[in-house]
Amino acid sequence: MQNLIDFSDKKVLIAGASSGIGKQIAISLSKLGAAVILIARRENKLQEVISQLEGKEHSYYVADLSQTGEIEGLVKKIVADNGKLDGMVYSAGIAATLPVNMLKPEKLLSLFQINYFGFVEMVRQVSKKGRYNDNMRIVGISSVASIRGDKSKTAYSSSKSAMDSAVRCMAKELAEKGICLNTVAPAMTATELYDHFLEKYGDDSESSTTLLKRQYLGIIQPEDVANAVAFLLSPAARFITGITLPVDGGLTTT
Amino acid sequence: MDMQEKIALLEETLELDEGTLTAETVLADVDEYDSMAKLSLIVMMDDEFGVKLTGDVIKSFVTVGDILNLMK
Ligand SMILES: NC(=O)c1ccc[n+]([C@@H]2O[C@H](COP(=O)([O-])OP(=O)(O)OC[C@H]3O[C@@H](n4cnc5c(N)ncnc54)[C@H](OP(=O)(O)O)[C@@H]3O)[C@@H](O)[C@H]2O)c1
Repeated sequence: MQNLIDFSDKKVLIAGASSGIGKQIAISLSKLGAAVILIARRENKLQEVISQLEGKEHSYYVADLSQTGEIEGLVKKIVADNGKLDGMVYSAGIAATLPVNMLKPEKLLSLFQINYFGFVEMVRQVSKKGRYNDNMRIVGISSVASIRGDKSKTAYSSSKSAMDSAVRCMAKELAEKGICLNTVAPAMTATELYDHFLEKYGDDSESSTTLLKRQYLGIIQPEDVANAVAFLLSPAARFITGITLPVDGGLTTT
Repeated sequence: MDMQEKIALLEETLELDEGTLTAETVLADVDEYDSMAKLSLIVMMDDEFGVKLTGDVIKSFVTVGDILNLMK
């Protein structure tokens, strides 16, 4: 039996792997045979994730990716310690709620620092010669917010649109190196973020009902996003590059 | 920040004309105090005073004075 989604002997770097979607991506990829290398700021959470992984040879690095000047040293160290990479997933990000009148340039900058600049710098560093194996794959976690308009989401949504358009451009350039890169755009996914939403609005509130009317398959589970990421990292997706794949329970088409 | 400056900051955050608010003003009487204004209030309180407002705390506010008490 042929299995196109098998990551035995593959090394995948996952940025933002201490919780939520990134954590699930680590768990799912480990089940598919990958050795994963995790990055986030909270060491105790990273250790917790490591303890839930299948297989051995996983490792973690504590780093604040909004400090973009430190990413080069970090990636060099990761490659020196673990060898060349086969994949990189960027799931680090924050979702700020900022009405226009509070949207000072400093606020916008600090959100872009982690959601966008960190992503582009990671791609730049992992795609340097000697740091990746043939058929390197990169996936960024964007959001359906990138193509939707919502009150107080200017900063968040535009950081995700920036990610999607960066991927369209970088894909063309990095194709020369045999690297494919894409983003996955989830809609509301059951992570702590969704728990906060429920705390704020309640699950029988108008916001919840309206959301579920449009996202008609229901609330997405982190596994659903992880599966899409696994597909894009695998040889099954070797002719897919520069796209944004919605994993949205129907949201963007209703 | 003295009381006058705090009131001025609140007026700016809620986009009200100068001199609209006093400590006794009842929030329910202020038309502009809607859900977006509350979001602005959350951001301002965090930025200026390091105070993280929860939904429950916001619901408990009756007068401008209740907000002023947390602006420290
Ligand atoms: N949940 C949803 O409904 C949803 C929907 C669409 C898109 N997304 C996107 O999916 C991604 C993951 O979100 P999530 O729901 O899984 O949220 P989450 O649980 O808060 O995960 C965010 C991850 O990013 C890491 N991170 C944040 N700031 C960082 C920094 N400065 N340096 C290094 N790591 C940092 C966090 O780790 P530390 O705090 O330990 O650093 C954590 O591992 C985000 O980009 C989000 O925009 C989520």
